[in-house]
Amino acid sequence: MMPLDLARGGAPLAFAWRSLVRQPARATLGILGVAAVGALLLDMLLLSQGLVTSMQDLLDSSGFDIRVAATDPIPGKPDIEDGAAAAAQIAALPSVSAAIAVRTEDADIQLADGRPTRATFAGVSGGRSRPWTILRGADIRGEHEIVINDHAAQAIGVAPGASVTIKAYCFGGAEAAPAIPFRLAGIAEFPFDAPNQSGAGTTIASLADACGTPDARTADLVLVTSSGDPDAAATAIAALRPDLRAFTNTEAVGQMQQRGFTYFRQISTVLTTITVSFALLLITVLLTVSVNQRLGEVAALRALGFSQGRVVLDVLFESALIVGIGGLLSLPLGAALAVWLDGILKRMPNLPAALHFFVFDPQALWIHGGLLAATAIIAALYPMSIVARLPIAATLRDEVMG
Amino acid sequence: MATHRKDEPFGPFGPFVTFGSFVSFWAFVVLTFASALLVAQQPETPSILISRQLAELEQIAVGDEVRLATNEQGTDARAFRVAGIYEPTPDPMRLGAVPREVRLHLTDLLALERDASTPAGTEHVESINVALRNPGEAQAFAADVNARIPGVFARGTTGAAGSGSTFVVLERFHLAIAAVTIVASTVFLLALTIMLVDERRATVGVLRLIGLPARRILLQVLLEGLLIAGAGALFGLLLALASEGLINRFFQWRYDTALIFVKVTPEVAATCLAIAVPLGAAATVAASWALLQRSGLRLARR
Repeated sequence: MMPLDLARGGAPLAFAWRSLVRQPARATLGILGVAAVGALLLDMLLLSQGLVTSMQDLLDSSGFDIRVAATDPIPGKPDIEDGAAAAAQIAALPSVSAAIAVRTEDADIQLADGRPTRATFAGVSGGRSRPWTILRGADIRGEHEIVINDHAAQAIGVAPGASVTIKAYCFGGAEAAPAIPFRLAGIAEFPFDAPNQSGAGTTIASLADACGTPDARTADLVLVTSSGDPDAAATAIAALRPDLRAFTNTEAVGQMQQRGFTYFRQISTVLTTITVSFALLLITVLLTVSVNQRLGEVAALRALGFSQGRVVLDVLFESALIVGIGGLLSLPLGAALAVWLDGILKRMPNLPAALHFFVFDPQALWIHGGLLAATAIIAALYPMSIVARLPIAATLRDEVMG
Repeated sequence: MATHRKDEPFGPFGPFVTFGSFVSFWAFVVLTFASALLVAQQPETPSILISRQLAELEQIAVGDEVRLATNEQGTDARAFRVAGIYEPTPDPMRLGAVPREVRLHLTDLLALERDASTPAGTEHVESINVALRNPGEAQAFAADVNARIPGVFARGTTGAAGSGSTFVVLERFHLAIAAVTIVASTVFLLALTIMLVDERRATVGVLRLIGLPARRILLQVLLEGLLIAGAGALFGLLLALASEGLINRFFQWRYDTALIFVKVTPEVAATCLAIAVPLGAAATVAASWALLQRSGLRLARR
């Protein structure tokens, strides 16, 4: 009765399923193996573009879509000599809606005689745009006001409204910069802060005061918000100031892809290749051994009237079931593994807290599915050929005689 | 020692701040040098070193005279003699970036980039590397410098790396991936050994029927597992050793670097053997265990 039912359309899948559940231990282990390999494969696919995607998101979320820096910075000299003036010039362009100059130095922030915390100290000029988001308190409104991040606030135990002392360590600043009192206006989030990094922000003029060079108006870069077309704005900036180089966020990420982070793309490619090869080899061996153990059974089915194509299809479906179920299990497993591996990699020093190495990408999911499907088909080829070329009479005779 | 942190991977406003350090002054000088001229060697011409990659790119040889400038127009260009060509120290963090570098004596560099308003001897340097007679005193020395010289930040290089350094983190990442790979391999190995043991079910049944105790058969299975696992692990090691040179040569060619990407050390080989052999043998025994709990008659029955 069963073979007749199975001979009907759609039965190969049910037959393959029964072949699997008849040997639960090996089927379960095979599926778990595919799930583990599939999880690693998914993670490597997410890793290949994760950092770049995350950085693009981070840059886009900052509210500035163009970054302007000196064409060829030289050690010992500021990147942009006239930071504030350059920002004002750029802000006046029709294709630009806002531009601020940014200078960053190091500083010790101290509450009274308490223990200081070493922070990245940023000064901004021009417009009301700020490269930080206020969490508590207020934004800076005048000179000698600062905002600091949560880490700095906790490190020195301070709240908005308090007075703190800043001792700056500046590039090209005074040999011994004075300790200057600042009023803490608020607690802010700096998008590129590392988890254990103190950060502070003020005006570029206040920063120059803290450096002991009040007349300096230098900047490291100018952050620009275009009025809708970043490429056109970047072109206009390049025409206005040939001594500066304007990069859109996409161009900046493109440069990162070329200059840095190649390691993760390489390791992702290598491990993807190894993982797929490993899965292919092992599923082929599993299916081949399984088919070899069932040669008598296959010959009997052929003798009962099952076509060659039908028994070949059974093997293919068995492979598809192992890889399919394993592949489905690999998705939650891969997601959990990605969180763990991301946690490990994010311990690298000075990485922004919001940056991730593993970022979900629908394209990675499609590639994952495609690679597993190809693995299922290719892994089944050899056992399928064994079944297709099986001599029915000789196999049955061997089965009876053996 | 360092007085600021502009060399960090990310400043508070993203990667852009660091582009200045990627496009180093050396690269800048190289990109703007005016020409390479073969002239008679003059004793007063300062000497420089050129990276191999730059020398190959611009066809520069030892003894050549080149002119370096700090601006694209080459208005302040000065002549230098190429004293040698060097292989840059491989830097994994700059993989993919061809190091087109020039090394000058610090005094020559300062003289090159100093403008007329800066008195000689007052130029700025980014950092000073200090080698102590007793490296164990690095932290105390750094603290002493920080206390005595305002505006300077000194730190020991060993302490700067610490457990959170990039390469320590990468090592942990590699170990995590290796652990996942081992788990996947073990699962597959168990599936395979279960099938292989099942295939020999009748043979084991006959051995039980002729009087061999389960423990004796298990010992045989264990020895067999050890042999197979040992042979497999040795084959894996030989494969790794054979591919080591190929992988290194390919990536060294691909990135034009002397960096070593794969190195099978005795420690790595020993770790692989220590994991693979017991794991393989254990998988064989585990797969056979359930089979040996059955009676000989049941096993031998067709």
